[in-house]
Amino acid sequence: MHPIHSRTSSLISLAGGKSHRGVSTIGLISHIAILTAVLVIVVGSVAAQADDELEQLGAAEPTAESLDFFESKIRPLLIDHCYECHGEDSQESELRVDTLAGMLTGGLAGASVIPGKPASSLLVTAVRYHDNDLKMPPDEKLSDTQIADVIRWVEMGAPHPDANTVGPIVPRNEVDLEEGRKHWAFQPPVKATPPIGDASMDVPNPIDAFVLTKLHAEGLGPNPPADKRTLLRRVTFDLTGLPPTPEEINAFLSDHSGNAFAKVVDRLLASPHYGERWARHWLDVARYADSNGLDENVVHGNAWRYRDYVVRSLNDDKPYDEFVVEQLAGDLLDSGSDVELRHERLIATGFLVLGPKVLAEKDQAKMEMDIIDEQIDTVGRSLMGLTLGCARCHTHKFDPISHHDYYGLAGIFQSTQTMDSYETVAKWHENTIETPDQAEELKQHQQRIDDQEELISKKISDAKSKLDPAPDAADKPDEIEKRFPDETQAELTSLRGDLDRLKGETPELPTAMGVVDGDIADTAVHLRGSHLTLGDVVPRRVPEVLALDDQPVIPADQSGRLEFAQWLTDGRHPLTARVMVNRLWRGHFGRGLVPTVDNFGLKGSPPTHPELLDWLAIRFVEEGWSIKAMHRMIVLSQTYQQSSDFDASNAERDPGNQLYWRFSVRRLEAEAIRDALLAVSGQLDRTTGGNIMQYKNREYVFNHTSQDKSKYDSNRRSIYVPVIRNHLYDMFQLFDYTDASVLNGDRNTSTIAPQALFLMNSEMVSDLTFAMADRLLNDDADSAQRIQRLYLEAYGRPASDAEISDGVRFLSRFETILRENNVGSLSSESNPERSAWQAFCQAVVSSSEFVYLR
Amino acid sequence: MQFSRRRLLQNTAAGFGSLALASLLADEARGASGSAASLLTSPHFPPKAKRVIFLFMKGGPSHMDTFDHKPQLQKDDGKPLPFEKPRVQFAPTSNLLASPWKFKQYGESGIAVSELFPHVAECVDDLCIINSLHGTNPAHGGASMKLHTGSDVFVRPSMGSWVTYGLGTENQNLPGFITICPTLAHGGTKNWGSAFLPASVSGTPIGNASQSSDQARVKYVENARLSLDAQRMQLDLTQSMNRGFLETTGPDSDLEARIQSFELAFRMQTEMPEVLDLEAETEATHKLYGIDNETTADFGRQCLMARRFAERGVRFVQVTHSNTEVQWDQHGNLRKGHAQNAAEVDLPIAGLLKDLKTRGLLDDTLVLWGGEFGRTPTCQGSGQDGRDHNPEGFTMWMAGAGLKTGIQYGATDEYGYYAVENKVHLHDLHATMLHLLGLDHERLTYRHAGRDFRLTDVAGKVVHDIFA
Repeated sequence: MHPIHSRTSSLISLAGGKSHRGVSTIGLISHIAILTAVLVIVVGSVAAQADDELEQLGAAEPTAESLDFFESKIRPLLIDHCYECHGEDSQESELRVDTLAGMLTGGLAGASVIPGKPASSLLVTAVRYHDNDLKMPPDEKLSDTQIADVIRWVEMGAPHPDANTVGPIVPRNEVDLEEGRKHWAFQPPVKATPPIGDASMDVPNPIDAFVLTKLHAEGLGPNPPADKRTLLRRVTFDLTGLPPTPEEINAFLSDHSGNAFAKVVDRLLASPHYGERWARHWLDVARYADSNGLDENVVHGNAWRYRDYVVRSLNDDKPYDEFVVEQLAGDLLDSGSDVELRHERLIATGFLVLGPKVLAEKDQAKMEMDIIDEQIDTVGRSLMGLTLGCARCHTHKFDPISHHDYYGLAGIFQSTQTMDSYETVAKWHENTIETPDQAEELKQHQQRIDDQEELISKKISDAKSKLDPAPDAADKPDEIEKRFPDETQAELTSLRGDLDRLKGETPELPTAMGVVDGDIADTAVHLRGSHLTLGDVVPRRVPEVLALDDQPVIPADQSGRLEFAQWLTDGRHPLTARVMVNRLWRGHFGRGLVPTVDNFGLKGSPPTHPELLDWLAIRFVEEGWSIKAMHRMIVLSQTYQQSSDFDASNAERDPGNQLYWRFSVRRLEAEAIRDALLAVSGQLDRTTGGNIMQYKNREYVFNHTSQDKSKYDSNRRSIYVPVIRNHLYDMFQLFDYTDASVLNGDRNTSTIAPQALFLMNSEMVSDLTFAMADRLLNDDADSAQRIQRLYLEAYGRPASDAEISDGVRFLSRFETILRENNVGSLSSESNPERSAWQAFCQAVVSSSEFVYLR
Repeated sequence: MQFSRRRLLQNTAAGFGSLALASLLADEARGASGSAASLLTSPHFPPKAKRVIFLFMKGGPSHMDTFDHKPQLQKDDGKPLPFEKPRVQFAPTSNLLASPWKFKQYGESGIAVSELFPHVAECVDDLCIINSLHGTNPAHGGASMKLHTGSDVFVRPSMGSWVTYGLGTENQNLPGFITICPTLAHGGTKNWGSAFLPASVSGTPIGNASQSSDQARVKYVENARLSLDAQRMQLDLTQSMNRGFLETTGPDSDLEARIQSFELAFRMQTEMPEVLDLEAETEATHKLYGIDNETTADFGRQCLMARRFAERGVRFVQVTHSNTEVQWDQHGNLRKGHAQNAAEVDLPIAGLLKDLKTRGLLDDTLVLWGGEFGRTPTCQGSGQDGRDHNPEGFTMWMAGAGLKTGIQYGATDEYGYYAVENKVHLHDLHATMLHLLGLDHERLTYRHAGRDFRLTDVAGKVVHDIFA
């Protein structure tokens, strides 16, 4: 057994309590176990075996002298300054200091006194007044003598008259691992056989087997399949984020083969637009952004490389385990001599660097830990569905993640170089990713610069040697040059001009946000999350509840990111596959099987279909973590293909459609709305990849000014539109785009008046609907045919006769009202016919049918 | 299925801030079991204030030069600070620097105010001046986010969003939270954003700090091309399409809300320009706010807009005093900079206070004035004319809302470096503000990412001492 694992159980065993794991571990006492056990020992439950160590730490049975010190110096001070809020009558933050037990147990922030360790004792932190967030007594600092007494008392081992009567104390912040592991999400998934059901069930797809069984058990039945047009619009938006074209619709309608839909799915999965669509889902989870946000909103000039990496990975159906390992530890993978592969993997580690950072934080140690915290929070929630960040200041309040677990992981990230400088304005790390050609070009260019410099110095020395009298060593160089012949001086000016030009033309090597290993070290527990109060050093490791006996072995000379990533993706981790298949399900159905997609902890929602979730998770791993195979399986299910029709009786029993008796109607995301507007107006630029930002790397989008440099006037797909934190494209923001500063795998869908205002009054919608109108008017067609075309493009279906006649009537009445409004001021731009068509197009794309999928 | 509060809030908010406290409390009363209970219709406490106007002085006005008179500092000009400077400072500073401005006692209370604020000084008996504010972050970005959202590290909802989330709006045709000419730097939208709260409670910006306030508009609220009757005709078509779609899907609260949201949007188009039309006000009012004067016109307009929003039931109005730079940030040029800044805001603020009072609005409006931090009593730069950021002790003042007035609460040390007496942390300020609005800062929570969040995180104490 790795010694670390015994920490908790050793403590409990020593204290005479029950071991979490039911194993006596006294014989396995590690150094660490002793360190943490000390306080228990001190209060009386002294295990004979530990006496020696105890002596070494300077803690002992209280002597009369030391008790006298407590009674004369410490207790009066506690009575005067602390008891009012932390005594018998009132226990603010659940802390009382009128008993030894109270101090050792501690309050919400953890143990208040750790005998022998003033630096780790919150009582000392508080009275020292060094930590802005913990200053006690709140009204006035104790005198220097009093503070020194408190420190001395803790150093003495906190002698206290209660010492012999207090039972074993377990400070707050201990985790019951055995109990914790009972949570469903920490149990390994179990692959149930998909139920077969009765003969009437035609269930080729295991998903349907699970879903239908549950539906039938509740006395509900599924809807019939959706009609082909609806289905095509649904799956095309779902897999590519774009509407189907009239040609695609006709092709599908005329394909009567049994696998017509499967062919469509394969076509869509093979489209480059698939990666653009699903990368955006991942980017929500990766809190992707093209600027830092927070306090110093500087440009992430190379973040786009990471974005393109995600698009490529999805289009290539890169196995998810590889995808994860590359993002956490791509720099540590052996890529041999494959430069391109190496660069790809360096770019992938941008995942760890993309978070928002307070770059002007003056407390550099705090900044470092804040950045690590952001990484832990992101990694925890994105890959494991665990809110690990909650354990920064204290043991997790709900999940079995201890304060020590957190700092075990923190050590991995502290051993990783994320930042190059913490000086204001701090700089994140970027890896150079030059090709051999680019490196060679730079080398040659540098050579040209060197040659030029040499030429200049040679000219100077030649000219110098000809000077008479010879220049003195003390003469200033420019003074000397003034004595050169005019033509030499002119020549030098010209050569220097060339040199400056050369230097200015130095090619910049491409770089990518990313990490490498830094100074390897374990991290100490930060009591209350503060770097000013450090506790035990925790070896780098993963949370115990998930790996009690099989901690990955982390090499002493590496951060441990690679081992961490491999541990996540070894196929046995109870969360990795479950969390990802749930994200995929969420993408297809608008809600996860676990509705809280980023939280599988005790406060998350339990799965609605646990057997199905497990079955999918295991299948995912068995199929080599293929994301496309999972898409295929889901969208080819009857569950996915059923209609969204309302059924009063089903709705009464299951109004939220938790059981999937229909396909839930849902609004398109901001990006899909924008892309669809561009597509339908014929304005969409389908170029893939690359950077469209005009900023330099690390340039301010907002300096200390409010001058807005953000630009969103592109017709590229939405995924390429810059994501400027604190100043998102307002259309995106209105339609519930991710905040881009925190990961979010489950965007809201709000319905608010400003969305309507945008559709009614924005320049973008106006411009695009004019473009639509112009396209329609350019057709040699009558109004009815134009309306038909518009409906087919916008809604994927033809207009009904009633819709055509309503449309025609609107066009004529609107034209009339425009003429009345604009008597005498008609210009070509306000051509009433064109304007009427524009208004009609705008109504069509503003309506619910355009922005909703059914 | 029970529709959860969250789902209701997220999905069916028909417009801005239509989240009544009643539904919030009713849901809390229902508890985890989800069973329906009686519908509470009152706030946590009887509210003293119905709304907030926050006058934000971007950059950090110097408290020793405005509302925190320090005679000892005047005496010890040029001497070294006789105690330690904070562990973390924004930049190095040298010795003590006396205030270049004279202080004078005003009103019945006799509170000393510097000559920078002669007009506000006339209202000093209506002010509750807190001299013992303190925060944690000495940089603009962190401090600004701490002030606006309670956190200088994480993305959290802004205080205006919390208030709107808690109380909703009194005017269904206007947003519940409006921020006039906010700065886009140092947190930018984060400072009025709703973070994980429903989008409907995020602040609606009117212009930004780089624009003159007469150019400030709400985006998309006007249609340049269509007359209202033409647009109504178009909207009728859209709405008939929307109703048609709803028929095909069956009852759906989102789609029903969507139809409502278009009607609200249409009404807002009329309402919003009407509020922003300051020409509707009398010449005397313009004069009261200094709109007739070049120096004060810009901020005067902002203050007058704030009053017009407040009287129309907007819950939280923030008015930012900032130009394209960090207005009050005088690391150097203190004399000129602070004089100019104060001249721009002094008269308009006094005008606002007087106007609110005359109209009876001051009784139930909380006016809050201050910056993200104060400034050091020690000197920065070589010219004996600058002060650094100081979050360790600074001043903000409140007015209205049933507060004790004509008082100074708390104190900094004899030079103004640290808050020492009756200290009020920014978390305490938030707790106190919520209390005045009838909200318990510990109960105004929102479940997100596995836990309940609140404006005051795990801190915050209500400063009961300043309540009348």
